[in-house]
Amino acid sequence: MDAVAQWRNQWFDYTHYLRREGFLDDQFAQLKKLQDENSPDFVVEVVSLFFQDSEKLLNNMARALEQNVVDFKQVDACVHQFKGSSAWIGAMRLKNVCINFRNYCEAQNLEGCLGCLQQVRQECLALKNNLENLFRLEQQIVAAGGSIPVME
Amino acid sequence: MEVMKSLSDVADSKQQQEQQQQQQHFHVLAVDDSVIDRKLLERLLKGSSYKVTCVDSGDEALKYLGLIDHDDQKPTDSSSLTSPYPQQSSSEQEGSKVINLIMTDYCMPGMSGYDLLKRVKGSSWKDIPVVVMSSENVPSRINMCLEEGAEEFLLKPLQISDLKKLQPYLLKTLDQPSSSIDSSNNLVVEEIGDDDHDGQSKINEEINKGSVMNNTNASSISKRKAVTTETSDRIPKMKGLVVA
Repeated sequence: MDAVAQWRNQWFDYTHYLRREGFLDDQFAQLKKLQDENSPDFVVEVVSLFFQDSEKLLNNMARALEQNVVDFKQVDACVHQFKGSSAWIGAMRLKNVCINFRNYCEAQNLEGCLGCLQQVRQECLALKNNLENLFRLEQQIVAAGGSIPVME
Repeated sequence: MEVMKSLSDVADSKQQQEQQQQQQHFHVLAVDDSVIDRKLLERLLKGSSYKVTCVDSGDEALKYLGLIDHDDQKPTDSSSLTSPYPQQSSSEQEGSKVINLIMTDYCMPGMSGYDLLKRVKGSSWKDIPVVVMSSENVPSRINMCLEEGAEEFLLKPLQISDLKKLQPYLLKTLDQPSSSIDSSNNLVVEEIGDDDHDGQSKINEEINKGSVMNNTNASSISKRKAVTTETSDRIPKMKGLVVA
């Protein structure tokens, strides 16, 4: 089996794993469809933007939760935005944590919120690593002269 | 015969060019406070060959539309590196702005999408279709927006297929009776309308092919059909001579 075929197999295995574990859902495949010759780096750009933006949002949430009098509405607004962004890139697990997070905000449960914030940070890191692995794999396929398979 | 053929070919490619130009004339104003959403929207819309202007708030949208006095406007925070924010240079007059569609997020800090919708529908831009978007499926919210005059309510994340829903509203703006549009828009509408009728017939065909028209547009379509029946019988002959 040549290098390209090997990398492509790895790619299939990896994307199946990511889908199975809920790191990514169908929306990610939709995102990939927006990438073409005119926007060859679109997915990487969006993902980078997502992580930059999420850093900012997570810091805002943390700051809001540190206040003496916590403004849960403000935290909720940040989580809402974060949830929306996660949905755009198909980050299912992140999106689900956000749903819990919003419930805690509504209940004004500080401990619950802090727990979710922690969880969000962990999921974000895990997703970042996973996507970096995926992109690296894709780069290898292209470097070896192959084409990246289409995500179903 | 030969001469006629080549003239027809030229006319036909001119038709295609005009149609493309008309499509490229579609200018969408996208309003969203999230940088990711703006990026995705921009990509989706540009992918359909629309021109896109992104702004990050209802206030910025109103400024762009000239509905807020912007003498003391400061440059907006360009958190999105890829979306060009409208430059309020003195050389660009309000009168030259053309918008064919406004797409706005519902949940935004400050002015909500609903507030923006109300402002637009109560202004000289009231005939411009407005589409509201939200990541939350709240029926009362949806009804509220539709009742206030929103053409459509789309759920985020938007799909490529959602863009097809936008086409009828955009095409409708080409057919707008000039009286209901602010004079700043008349310029472009007339420009397009005054092009030879073949351009309009071509659009008519496209609409029929697309068959995504909803009932509210039916009457305007039948009007257009009536107008162009004279010219439409020229089309089949020309089609036969099209060089693919």
